[in-house]
Amino acid sequence: MTDTEKKLQDKAKELLEQGKVEHIIGYAAGSLKFTTTPLITKDKDDARQLVINPFIVNNLSVFLNDIKGKIGIVAKPCDARSIVSLLQDQQVARENLVILGLPCQGLIDLRKVERLTGKDRDDIDDITRNGDKVTVTTGGKTQKFAAKEVIFDDCLSCETPTPPEYDFLFGEPSSATDKELGRKNIKELEAMSPQQRWDFWKQEFSRCIRCYACRQVCPACFCTRCFIEETEPQWLSPLPRWQDNLLFQTTRMLHVAGRCTDCGECERVCPVNIPLRSISKKVEEIVDELFQYKAGMDKNAERFMTAYEPSEAEDLMR
Amino acid sequence: MSQESKWEPKLLGFLCKWCSYAGADLAGTSRKKYPANIRIVKIPCSGRIDPLFVAKALRMGFDGVLVSGCHPGDCHYQTGNYRARRRIAITKRLMEYMGIEPERLQASWVSASEGDKWAQVVTEVTKGVKEVGPNRLFDDDGHRKEAAGQS
Repeated sequence: MTDTEKKLQDKAKELLEQGKVEHIIGYAAGSLKFTTTPLITKDKDDARQLVINPFIVNNLSVFLNDIKGKIGIVAKPCDARSIVSLLQDQQVARENLVILGLPCQGLIDLRKVERLTGKDRDDIDDITRNGDKVTVTTGGKTQKFAAKEVIFDDCLSCETPTPPEYDFLFGEPSSATDKELGRKNIKELEAMSPQQRWDFWKQEFSRCIRCYACRQVCPACFCTRCFIEETEPQWLSPLPRWQDNLLFQTTRMLHVAGRCTDCGECERVCPVNIPLRSISKKVEEIVDELFQYKAGMDKNAERFMTAYEPSEAEDLMR
Repeated sequence: MSQESKWEPKLLGFLCKWCSYAGADLAGTSRKKYPANIRIVKIPCSGRIDPLFVAKALRMGFDGVLVSGCHPGDCHYQTGNYRARRRIAITKRLMEYMGIEPERLQASWVSASEGDKWAQVVTEVTKGVKEVGPNRLFDDDGHRKEAAGQS
């Protein structure tokens, strides 16, 4: 247990004991190596299960809507941005939240580690991060990688190593970002012809099984009824055909425009590995480029979808 | 080839009830001539437009979508048209990125007194979409260019 972890556990316990929060949402060790699982608890003794490590991938803000009362939530910067976005949308009240902020160095993508070492996760004994270096131990042998090589793409593009909103902060911020590397996939797509891009997405979305995991895990997708399940009218077919899969996802991405914080969860949960971040990141870029708006940075800012400048984007109007 | 020359684009128009719909009405009562390629859906405000409508229209096989509302500052609900404009702007850009011709989504400001402008907008948009060609996006067997010869 690290010092920071200890401090977080003590604070969580204290908050529960003093009745300042009814629930704590955080991360506990997962059942598999190098995984974590969300921990939602009322019990002060559970606080000692809380962990901080480079595998805390879940965006816990997705649970906020389902839990009543005061909540203490552990939040990485991207999750904190999602929370700010929810505050802007009045989905949660600030006075009901105690945000336990974690500065983030970027989370480790196990698939990248597997690819680089050529080993399966079961054969990897240990992965530790020390500043810009990540040490992987397999069968007594150690390999060192630059952090940039093994962290998630969305972490590479991260512009907020510190949460924009928090009550307590645990740990020191530092990050090894590389924006160009983080948008490598988008760059490749942009270099293609429109026909090639369409064929690419057609291929990708032919695999979609419509499990809607991307939507369920998304903190910005808080509608109680999703357009895709409406039947009068039925906007798009619920059958997993590539045409409707593609339109469902593009529409969803446009619906969360200005609220998506590029946390990358949709891509991580996709069971058929559709590169969804290549769409969400692009939408984020479009929103920033056209309207100079970044999601979830300021809880007092007007929401992207309702804000406007009288003179903006006039060039596209006839 | 002969079949192709007969092809006429099908357009779907989403018109705000306060300005553009009345403008289109005026074009009619003033006997203005414009291409009969457009089908019109009346919406309460251009701010009602959702990227989903565009998705649905293209999925149904429309070759182009036109959204039209009140001029900036004239919205009956003050800000609906500004919000529509943001949505259309990002939709167009994402369409381009996905590989859909952005020309298939067009937007205009037409007031209730602009029957002439409405006729002109429809003429231009029809011409524009004609140049882009038929909507083969969702054909299962693929390539738009190869399919362009068949009707």
